Amino acid sequence: MKSMPMKKKRGDKTGYLMSLPYILYFCLFIGFPLIFSFILVFHKWNIVTPMQWVGLKNFYRLFHDVQFFVSIRNTLVFLVIHIPLQITIALLLAILLNQKIKLKGFFRALYFLPVIVSGVVITILWQQLFAYETGLLNLLLTKIGLSKIPWLIDSNWAMPSIAIMATWKNVGLYIVLFLVGLQGIPRYLYEAAEIDGARPVQQFFHITLPALNNTMVLVVILSTIGGFSLFIEPFVMTGGGPMNSTLSAMLYIYNQAFYFGHMGYAATLGFFFAFIILLVVLLQKKFVERKD
Amino acid sequence: MTQSRATIIFLLLLCVVCVSCEKKRTAPTVADRDVVRLTYWCASNQSEIDLATELVNKWNSSHPKIQVKLQPIPASQSSEEALLAAIAGKTTPDICANMWPGAMDDFTSSGGLVRLDQFPDFLDYLTERMPAELLESFRAPDGHYYQIPWKTNPIMIMYNKRMFRKAGIQRLPRTYSEYLIAAKAITKDLNGDGRADQWMGYQDIRPIWWQRFFDYYTHYIAASGGKTLFDSTDICFESDASVKVFRFFQEIYRQGYFPRTTFQGDNFLAEKFATIITGPWNITHVEKFKKPGFEYDIFPVPVPDDYKGPVYTYGDHKNISIFSTTKHPAEAWQFARFLITEQADLRLLEVCSQIPLRKNLTTNPLYHRYFAANPMMTKFAEQAIYTRGVDGSSVLKEIFDAISQEYEACAIYGKRMPEEAVANAAKRAQVIIEWSRPQ
Repeated sequence: MKSMPMKKKRGDKTGYLMSLPYILYFCLFIGFPLIFSFILVFHKWNIVTPMQWVGLKNFYRLFHDVQFFVSIRNTLVFLVIHIPLQITIALLLAILLNQKIKLKGFFRALYFLPVIVSGVVITILWQQLFAYETGLLNLLLTKIGLSKIPWLIDSNWAMPSIAIMATWKNVGLYIVLFLVGLQGIPRYLYEAAEIDGARPVQQFFHITLPALNNTMVLVVILSTIGGFSLFIEPFVMTGGGPMNSTLSAMLYIYNQAFYFGHMGYAATLGFFFAFIILLVVLLQKKFVERKD
Repeated sequence: MTQSRATIIFLLLLCVVCVSCEKKRTAPTVADRDVVRLTYWCASNQSEIDLATELVNKWNSSHPKIQVKLQPIPASQSSEEALLAAIAGKTTPDICANMWPGAMDDFTSSGGLVRLDQFPDFLDYLTERMPAELLESFRAPDGHYYQIPWKTNPIMIMYNKRMFRKAGIQRLPRTYSEYLIAAKAITKDLNGDGRADQWMGYQDIRPIWWQRFFDYYTHYIAASGGKTLFDSTDICFESDASVKVFRFFQEIYRQGYFPRTTFQGDNFLAEKFATIITGPWNITHVEKFKKPGFEYDIFPVPVPDDYKGPVYTYGDHKNISIFSTTKHPAEAWQFARFLITEQADLRLLEVCSQIPLRKNLTTNPLYHRYFAANPMMTKFAEQAIYTRGVDGSSVLKEIFDAISQEYEACAIYGKRMPEEAVANAAKRAQVIIEWSRPQ
C-alpha cells in the first residue's frame, strides 16, 4: 500500500522528462512566436529598426484596408469552389477504389502521387498547362473547335482555375480518408439493404453518406483550413492578379510582412484572419456534424 | 531505477550536444594576432563569384596583414532579404558588394552601415572615379554616404536582328509610334492556327512590384527625361510621362504585341520574341546559349513621339557598403578601394559584362581593347551616363506595388484609362507615405 503513491510519483517525473523535448519545441516554435506576434500587433517593426509602439493603429488600418477584405473575399470564393469539388471528386474516386477492381493498389498510389510532389513544382506545371497562348489545355480546346479559355488572365476565371489545380493536387489525401471511412462501414448493412430491395443510389444516400459523417466533418475541416492557407498557387502562378482576383489572405499577409516589412501589421492581419478561420470552422462543425 | 536511467541518458545526450556545439578555441599565434581578417560577401551568381574569387586571391597575396574571406550572399529570394536577416541577427559581413540603393534606407536607419565620408580620402577618391552629380545622387537623406557607387546595368532593348530583317524593319524604333509599327510587323501567326506564335516582346504580367522596373519604370525614366518617383521628399510620378507610358503599354497588350501569358525558359533565344528588355548581364547568357547564326544587338528604350533630348533609362545600380559590425572599418575601406580600381573595373567588364560607374569609360585607353572587341558593351557604357537609379525610400516597394496594381488594371487588362490609373497610384502612394510617417 505504501509503495503505490511512490511509484506513481516516479512515473509522473519520467513522464515529464519524456515530454520535455516536445515542451521545449512547443515553447520555442509555437509559444514564443505566438506571444511575440501578439506583442507585435501593437507595434510597428521592420525587423532591423527598433520596435515602435503604435497602440491600436494596426487595427485602425486593418478596418480601412480594402485590399485585405478583397483578399478574404477571394479566399472564401476559393473555398466555395474548392471544398465541394474536392469532396465530390474524392468521395466518388474513393467509392470506385473501394470496389473489386484490378490494379487497385496502383490507382490508389497514382491518385496520392500529387500530394507528395512539391507544391511549387505542380504549380509551375499547371501554369504551363493553363497558359493562354501556348498552354496544352487551350491547344486541346482549339483542336476540338472550342474557343480558348483565359484560365489565369481573366479575373473571373483565375480563382476557379486555381481551385481546379488545388483539387487535383490534394484529392489523393481525401481519397485515403474516405477509403478508411468506407472500409469501416459494416458489410451487413449493405446486405440487409439489398435484401430489403434498396438500389445502389439509395444505399449510398441512406448507408454510405450517414456512416461517413465523421469522416466528412474531418475532410471539410481539413480542406477548409488548407483552403484558408492558400498561398503557393497564387504566389507562383499569378502573383495575386489579374486585378487582385487571386490575392489570397495568406499572400496578402506575406506581402505585408516580407515584401514591405510591416511585421506588426502583418501580425495583426494574422490574428484577425485566425479568428475568421475559427469562426468558419465552428460554423461548419455545427452544420455538418450530426448528432447521433 | 527507470527514472534515474532516463535522467542519465538525457544528461549524456545533453553533454553530447553541448560538446559538439562548443567552438574550438585554440590560442592564436603571434602571427595570427597581427592579421586583420575581413569577410566579404559578393552576389551569388557564378560570374560575380568568379570575379570576386579572382580579386580576393589577388588582394590576399599582396596584403598578408589583411586577409579577406569570400562568401557569396546566402541564398534567399533577394540579396536584400538576406542582408536584412543578417542585420537583424548581427551576422553581417565586414563588406558587401551587392547593395541595392532602394534598400539603403532600411540599412542606414537601423545603424547597420558605416558612414563612408568619415574616411578622409573618400570624396576625393570617388569624385576622381565618377561624375560628382552622379555621386551626389547616392547621398543619404542625413547628408552622408553609406554606399560606394560601383556598377550599373543600364536597361535597354536587345533585339533579334534576323527577325527584324525578315519583318522588313529598316530603322530601329526610337519613338512609341515607330515601336508599335515594328511590333505590328513582327507579331505573327506563323503556322496558321489562328494563334500568334511570334511576338514583339514579353514582360512578366504578374503584379509583383519589382517587375515594374523593366516595363513601367524604365520607360517612365525615359519619357520624363530622367526623373525618378520622388522629387526630393514628394512623389512626382503623377505626370504626363507616366500617362504616356501606361497608354503605350496598353496599346501593346491590346494589340497582342506582348502576350498576356507566362513562359518558362528563354523564349528570346528560342526566337519567339523579337526583343527583350534587359541589361548588359544578359550578353554573357546569350553568348553562352545562343544557337549558331543567332544575331542580336541593342537599342535604347523608345520614348514618346514628342520627346526631345537624350534617352535616359533605369540603371540597376549595385554598390559596396561596409557594415557597422566590422571591427576594422579602415581596413575594410582599403579593400573596398581595391575593388573599384581601374584594373578591377576592367575585370568587372570582362568577367561579368557589367558596367562600372566610372567616368570616361569608353575613352579610357585601358578599356579600349575591351570595347573594341565588345561593341555592344560600348552601347551599354554610353547609355550608363544617362541612367537613373531608385529613390532611397523605406516605402519604395509599397509605392511600386501601388503602381503595379494600377499598371496591371490599365496597361495589361485595359480596364482603366491611363490618366485615372496614374492618379489612383499617386493617391495610394500618398496614403502609404502618410502611414509611414513617424508617430
